[in-house]
Amino acid sequence: MAQAISRRNFLRGGLATAAGVAASGVVLPQAVRAAGGQELCTVLDLSKCIGCEACVDACRETWQATVPDPVNPMPKPFPSRVPTQDWSKRKDVSDRLTPYNFLYVEHLDFEHKGQALELHVPRRCMHCVNPPCANLCPFGAGRVEKNGIVNIDPDVCLGGAKCKQVCPWHIPQRQSGVGVYLDIMPSYAGNGVMFKCHRCLPLVKQGKQPQCVEVCPEHVQTIGLRPQMLAQAEALARQKAQADGAAPDRWRDYVYGIEENGGTNTVYVSPVPFAVVSAAVNQAHAQAAPGQGKGRAGAGKQGGKRRKAGFAGRPPMGPVNNTMESAENLTAALVLAPLAGLAAGFTRLFGKKQPPSDQPPQEQPPSEQGGQS
Amino acid sequence: MSVMSYSPGGRAARWLYGIATGFALFSGFGQMPIFKRYYLADLPGMAWTANFFITSDIHYLAAALLLGLLAWRLALDARTTGAAWSWGPRSWWGWTLLGLLVISGAAKVLRNLGIYLPPPLIMVLDFTHLGSAMAFMFTGLVVLVKPKPKPNLRGLAG
Repeated sequence: MAQAISRRNFLRGGLATAAGVAASGVVLPQAVRAAGGQELCTVLDLSKCIGCEACVDACRETWQATVPDPVNPMPKPFPSRVPTQDWSKRKDVSDRLTPYNFLYVEHLDFEHKGQALELHVPRRCMHCVNPPCANLCPFGAGRVEKNGIVNIDPDVCLGGAKCKQVCPWHIPQRQSGVGVYLDIMPSYAGNGVMFKCHRCLPLVKQGKQPQCVEVCPEHVQTIGLRPQMLAQAEALARQKAQADGAAPDRWRDYVYGIEENGGTNTVYVSPVPFAVVSAAVNQAHAQAAPGQGKGRAGAGKQGGKRRKAGFAGRPPMGPVNNTMESAENLTAALVLAPLAGLAAGFTRLFGKKQPPSDQPPQEQPPSEQGGQS
Repeated sequence: MSVMSYSPGGRAARWLYGIATGFALFSGFGQMPIFKRYYLADLPGMAWTANFFITSDIHYLAAALLLGLLAWRLALDARTTGAAWSWGPRSWWGWTLLGLLVISGAAKVLRNLGIYLPPPLIMVLDFTHLGSAMAFMFTGLVVLVKPKPKPNLRGLAG
């Protein structure tokens, strides 16, 4: 997450660096590079994915057991309208994100330019460059590692689900009845622990690849340093655009994740424009069988309305503005305000002149002095 | 015992200080997912309190106002000798808490820009910010509600 100037400049600099690296032909082992503390990014070539779900199986086999089972009975939250979410008896669910399933594959059937197409899209956390889930977590449970991996510390998370609310894709999923909130005030504060893909952080720390990358028989995913991966994604997207009959400079229509939410470290490249993919994803979610994701644990909320079961735990794929942009812009106010205050003070703007030394300043009883500490 | 009061900006400055601290505290607590859970967001006209991005923006603006006022006061203090102010911290305790809030808040602002800070440090900063804010709020409340001594007018009469 080393971003010294601004995200846009970082992106520009990253692309320039990528071009330089590509031109020089210097390629170091990724694990070595990652150990240096630079951000890792994955590129997914969707035209390669056959939907075998080997990635899903490997992810579940490796990490499902690390998510604990809830206590029984589970504490009843106060007030009673606060829902408990228990997926512990539905660990087999693999067609959406759950606390026990960090990755699923979206199987899409749609038409494009008069042709029936099939596309399979592995979905998990996007690992944003400037992730609102980690930034806005009030307790520091949301973490961004130096290698760009965004993860949630299960020993700190209270399960308030703020991260899910501020995530544009609503990725983190809550399991109630587990975690540190049980030792504090289980009925009145917290509601479990939020879980999501941590891109196999323990394995990556050992210099290994994430399981979903490692086991894929079609080599759909590539992982590497962000500048290199962005350059790779652009080159691939240019090919896809050309193959689809579009101008090569329309390549951004064929990538997803470079600009979304201010930039992510998961970049999808598709053989068709992502406007088409997004529509297909929305259609698939709308048509999801009523039984899927049924029940309180499966239901989700968005915009104050309970979403259809097909949308819960299944992230959309449309355009996403930078959710941290407002905070980034308001930083200027935080810098300018004290400077303006100092300038006003030193020029005695709004301030009365110093009373003469032989006359005391205005006398007030203490009762009029509010807000002191 | 009477207290000499120095109040440049008059009542407006005191109100601005109160508004800044009040909104900073309110929006700061709104960063925890409690306003929706405990029905505050259900009150008419208060639905916005459940939107973390809105409360975050308010927190930034309140912090900017507070920083501006405190900087203004410090600059005036540098040119004034020992006058007690009618608003803001008067004790080392209040200034310490404000200092902790500013330092931890500034670090959190850097993180929100995407600048990397080690996760353990961020957790310390988060709890420092929260703890200092709660201590500041409770100290302010104690000062507001504690019995006030009657003004000493004998000195003026004499």
